[in-house]
Amino acid sequence: MGFGVVGRALARLLLEEGERLAKRRGFRPIVVGVADSLGAAYDEGGLDMLEVLGAKERYGTVSKSSSGVRGMTGLELLGTVYADVVVEVTPTNLGDGEPGLTHIREALKSGMSVVTSNKGPLALAMPALMELARHRGAVLRFSGTVGGGTPVLDYGRRLSAGDYIEGVEGILNGTTNYILTRMTEGLEFQEALREAQERGYAERDPSMDLEGLDSACKLVIMANYVLGLKATLRDVEVKGIGGVTREEVAEAYHRDYAVKLVASIREDKLKVEPREVPRRSPLCVWGVLNAVTFKCRRLGEQTVVGRGAGGVETALSIIRDLAEVKRNLSGSLGGWA
Amino acid sequence: MGLRLLVMKFGGSCLTDGDSILRAAELVRDAFNRGDGIVAVVSAMKGVTDRLLNMVEGSLRGEDVREEIESLRADHVEATRRAVGDVEVRGEVERIVTTTISELERVLTAIGYLEEVTPRSRDYILSFGERLSTPILWGAIRSQGLKASWMTGGEAGIVTDSNFGEARPLMENTRLRVEAKLKPLLEKGIIPVVTGFIGEDLDRVVTTLGRGGSDYTATLIGEVLGADEIYLWTDVEGLMTADPRIVPEARIIEEISFEEAVEMAVFGAKRMHPRALVPAMRAGIPVVIKSLRRPEVRGTRITGEVKIGEGVVKAVTLVRGVGLLNVQGLRMIGMPGVAGRVCQLLGRKGINIFMISQSVSEANISLMISKDRLYQAESLIENALLGTGLISDVYVEEDVCVVAVVGAGMRGTPGVAARVFKAVASRGINVRMIAQGSSELNISFVVKEEDGEEAVRAIHQEFNLSGKT
Repeated sequence: MGFGVVGRALARLLLEEGERLAKRRGFRPIVVGVADSLGAAYDEGGLDMLEVLGAKERYGTVSKSSSGVRGMTGLELLGTVYADVVVEVTPTNLGDGEPGLTHIREALKSGMSVVTSNKGPLALAMPALMELARHRGAVLRFSGTVGGGTPVLDYGRRLSAGDYIEGVEGILNGTTNYILTRMTEGLEFQEALREAQERGYAERDPSMDLEGLDSACKLVIMANYVLGLKATLRDVEVKGIGGVTREEVAEAYHRDYAVKLVASIREDKLKVEPREVPRRSPLCVWGVLNAVTFKCRRLGEQTVVGRGAGGVETALSIIRDLAEVKRNLSGSLGGWA
Repeated sequence: MGLRLLVMKFGGSCLTDGDSILRAAELVRDAFNRGDGIVAVVSAMKGVTDRLLNMVEGSLRGEDVREEIESLRADHVEATRRAVGDVEVRGEVERIVTTTISELERVLTAIGYLEEVTPRSRDYILSFGERLSTPILWGAIRSQGLKASWMTGGEAGIVTDSNFGEARPLMENTRLRVEAKLKPLLEKGIIPVVTGFIGEDLDRVVTTLGRGGSDYTATLIGEVLGADEIYLWTDVEGLMTADPRIVPEARIIEEISFEEAVEMAVFGAKRMHPRALVPAMRAGIPVVIKSLRRPEVRGTRITGEVKIGEGVVKAVTLVRGVGLLNVQGLRMIGMPGVAGRVCQLLGRKGINIFMISQSVSEANISLMISKDRLYQAESLIENALLGTGLISDVYVEEDVCVVAVVGAGMRGTPGVAARVFKAVASRGINVRMIAQGSSELNISFVVKEEDGEEAVRAIHQEFNLSGKT
């Protein structure tokens, strides 16, 4: 579902790495259907993804490929072909989560597992979607939603299985971190934003990043998956970086601090706000890097640093999730996990 | 929305006729006029669910049930006339009742032809009780000059699994849907009037939550909306220290904790859904049981606080309809897994174990199960284990009952058990089996059926539950 930057990166990755995955991991994903906003293409025996990619590049829609159907929606595709797993990578929508929310819900309802990098549906209805998956015996994976290619979520989850995680602090959005970094180096907010857009770090409409909503979504997902809270986006207190000035940033820097957009969970309270972080703290990363610190009762602070999300990073996380789903499926079939 | 939010559930036992529905509407009106937000949850009228079941049975036998359907229609039309004053609204409700009844007739006819009823269609038919009563209360509330909107539990957003007859809600999906559906109504000052007992599964098929499920509907909605109080209006004035038919001087318990009330519900004090209190407990919302006929009586308030001041024992109840299954064998001694094996065998057949006890010698396991499954359980264990050398005998005792003594004050108070059993012994009653959970909230023991009532009276008196000095 969805054939934008991430969807296409995934398709290319599968073409390039398919053989290796099959040989080394016994894992051979076959794409039986693809939907974009203009139509869909499907073939139960497996699509020729090279051709589908070509059609998308040339005509802007997969429905122009030889197995394409113009105007077929993602939902119709779900009802037409059988798949073990649905990969949901439509754009994030924080209003009502659509169309991703319906795709995920319908797929899980019919027992198909879902891998997604779409934060909207999870931020709005994660507890309900997890429940649905459990109820239907399907798997829902979303490791690319936080930390891009870096498996932050599973790292945190493993930690919390043994130790008790008392709090989380994270710099979860590369765009705002880049802007704040450049402001530390003397740029005004507007200049830094323009530069981020020119370099492709920020979207043309950067409001989701700047207002802290992207970070808030990631925080919700972390709260549910790592800490087992039942939170949705409404439970997050959010403040963006709009009010941060160059002077403030410079002043903090002189005191050996840095202003960062920090997402935190403390005593089950979820919060996103610009805050000062000691420059010596491992959390204080620069540029488009992300970092998350898990505060554990016994192990102390554990910080994971990684590159934020890009097309390839997210596509990699999806392959990781697909492998995990396969492991689950073969486990439930009595195979070796 | 008012300052407080109340869920008011009207139980079938108190919805006997149009006048009682009118009284319910007046209670809703009074609370609304005090500034409270209200969600009303409605059961089927008294006896209707049983009548529906009888119609199903009748149709299966190929009988003509049109007369029963007609009398069901007449009863609801009559109730509408008494409860709904406004002529226009009354017409509207009567039309709904008529349409619903003809739908029921069609379904029953279909069952008659097929000579078969699936759990799924049984749930569908059972849902008609609430689908008939709810519009009447809706009309009665509107007749009082208030804005209201009626819907089934499924329409209100209660999503369940597809375990027909005893469906379990998918809590998180329910939360999402109920909030989206009811909150906007409440904000506009509209009173949602919701059928109890009914949910729907993911494919929008009607399911039921099991006997007494309307309480469950009320507490679920209460939890999701963060209600301040949940009122369960019924035909009794509250939970009692004992069944007044057994102990005439039994009295109403004014305050009780969730934990204690759950113990009492499990042991059948009020016909309450055993899981009904869980959502309220989770959210810490007080549940008040009150009489629709006598709303001025305070009733029983179930809260998160445990008040021990009133005495260690709160109530004593008698559970009938159970039997004892004894498994014996010297070879079981020191053999791990025998008890597990027995429980597993019963569990697989859906036979619920109420009580279990095993002597330390391990030579004997006693299980308390529902009487109607007793012999099935016996042959199950016999077939699986007798002859393996592991056990030497399986036998049942039918003429038994359970006495359950409930009270949070028993926790950490030494000597309560001694007082209980001394009181029983002083009446010459022999105790067959004893179980006390480590929560110490209740002591249950098994006696001969003919001794049950006397045992209850003995304990009631020993702990002075009637409150007489």
